[in-house]
Amino acid sequence: MSRVRRRLILTAVQVAVVAAFLVAWQFLPDISFLSSRFHWLDPFFISSPDHVARKVYDISVGHGPITVWRYAWETISSALLGTVIGMAAGGIVGLLLSNSRFLSDVFQPIVVALNAVPRIALIPVVVIILGPTSQASVAIAVMVVFFIAFYSAYEGGRTVSSNVMRNSILLGASKYQMARHLRLPYAFAWMMASLPLAATFALLSVVTGEILTGTAGMGQLITQALAFSDSALTFAVVIILSIVGIAVTGVATLIRRALLRWWDSTLT
Amino acid sequence: MAQASPAPNPSAAGAHQGVIHQLRNVSFSYDDGGVLAVDNLSLNFVGGESVAIVGPSGCGKSTLLALLAGFANPTAGEIVHTPAPAGRHPMTMVFQNETLLPWLNVVDNIKLFFRYNKGAESKSTIEARVRDLIALAGLGGFERFYPHQLSGGMRKRVAFLTSVAPLPRTLLLDEPFSSLDEPTRVGLHEDVLKIVRQYNMTMVLVTHDIAEAVTLADRVVILTKRPAQIADERVISVSKEEPVLEMRRDPVFLEVYADLWDSLARQIEPAGVRAPSPEVAK
Repeated sequence: MSRVRRRLILTAVQVAVVAAFLVAWQFLPDISFLSSRFHWLDPFFISSPDHVARKVYDISVGHGPITVWRYAWETISSALLGTVIGMAAGGIVGLLLSNSRFLSDVFQPIVVALNAVPRIALIPVVVIILGPTSQASVAIAVMVVFFIAFYSAYEGGRTVSSNVMRNSILLGASKYQMARHLRLPYAFAWMMASLPLAATFALLSVVTGEILTGTAGMGQLITQALAFSDSALTFAVVIILSIVGIAVTGVATLIRRALLRWWDSTLT
Repeated sequence: MAQASPAPNPSAAGAHQGVIHQLRNVSFSYDDGGVLAVDNLSLNFVGGESVAIVGPSGCGKSTLLALLAGFANPTAGEIVHTPAPAGRHPMTMVFQNETLLPWLNVVDNIKLFFRYNKGAESKSTIEARVRDLIALAGLGGFERFYPHQLSGGMRKRVAFLTSVAPLPRTLLLDEPFSSLDEPTRVGLHEDVLKIVRQYNMTMVLVTHDIAEAVTLADRVVILTKRPAQIADERVISVSKEEPVLEMRRDPVFLEVYADLWDSLARQIEPAGVRAPSPEVAK
């Protein structure tokens, strides 16, 4: 089977699966035998594809009281800022610890312990300190991304092979030069490899924080929808969040590929 | 033409004017004395000579090289290096495993030494040397290629050039070509012979390949099983002027090869393993 033909068949099957799901979602609640037995099949709870599609359109173009982009921007900007700060802070600390056995021995167990703390449990503390503000959303994203970046940079800095280090020692490299020319590029490469994951987690944690604290953003919109039992709005927000998530992951993957062409080629 | 003869006593060689590295009764143990890797070994290296160290697998050949490079300190005895002449970098090494930096292209990898030692040479000297080395190793046209775009043999050539670019007084080679196929290895032997001779380097090669040792070295030191001691030492007077393949077809080369193999075989299996037929060396 040629590659094009295989790709076409795969796409056709994928479209068919999604279409079947949408058809079932739209029409199963109309079958009284099923709706009488499964109360959650009521459109009041699960809405319907046509309602959700209309809602997505309305909140996207601003028909009605809600325009989604104002909320989406709050969430995206907090997630992006949290990703940048978390990656930088985690990367620097990871690189420092990978460079110094003493620092690593002192702080590595502390970082492991901190990482074991469920971040969601710390959200109330962050909100008490910063209030239900966008700064709180950023701080929540930083808490999550920091550890991803830290572990990537720490492991990256430590993966430099002993022969590469020895080669540089004989070529006259100082300790600083080995950190700058060997560990830093490896740490950076590992960090960038984790960028798509970090960006996705940042988005996830910001929305969770918004739901829990009512901070402005997509999470707040979901909370509002729940308060008004507007299931169509809930699904519409989830769909737009998924699209935003896919876009964020896509951009992060593109950035990683552009920066790490040599890394991807080494892996393949 | 080739000729092998028992080497002079190491201590006698020590009296030679040109000795630049001296191992004096060196012992080395791993695991805080648990495993004795090198036992009371004395060996001299004369400036400008090429020495191959061969021995049974795990006998301590690479440990000896690590001691010489200063990556480890002897647990007994001492290693004495005379200072390198002005303008010569003391020592570099080509490793068995990959040491190229994957984010640097061929030229930037070769220039690594100059990144670490700003002002060691003028920019024009560096550019000219790198150009010469690339031409000598037949890497012209690949200057801007990254390691992942090169074959294994080309990557090894670049690693070799990275180590010779500082013009070290002594070049250490730790089984650097063992992962390559035979034709690529022979090509690299040509490059090593050309460059080491042109830049007057002392070379210490650790290898398990007797043909490689005879091709590249002026002297072959055979070590015993661990803990390493010197079992045998031969001066190899093979003319390095002819191409490597011609050299290897020379009946005397094959004779030296078989002779050294016999000597090594005695270390591998004291009961006596027959040397392979000389064709093995082809």
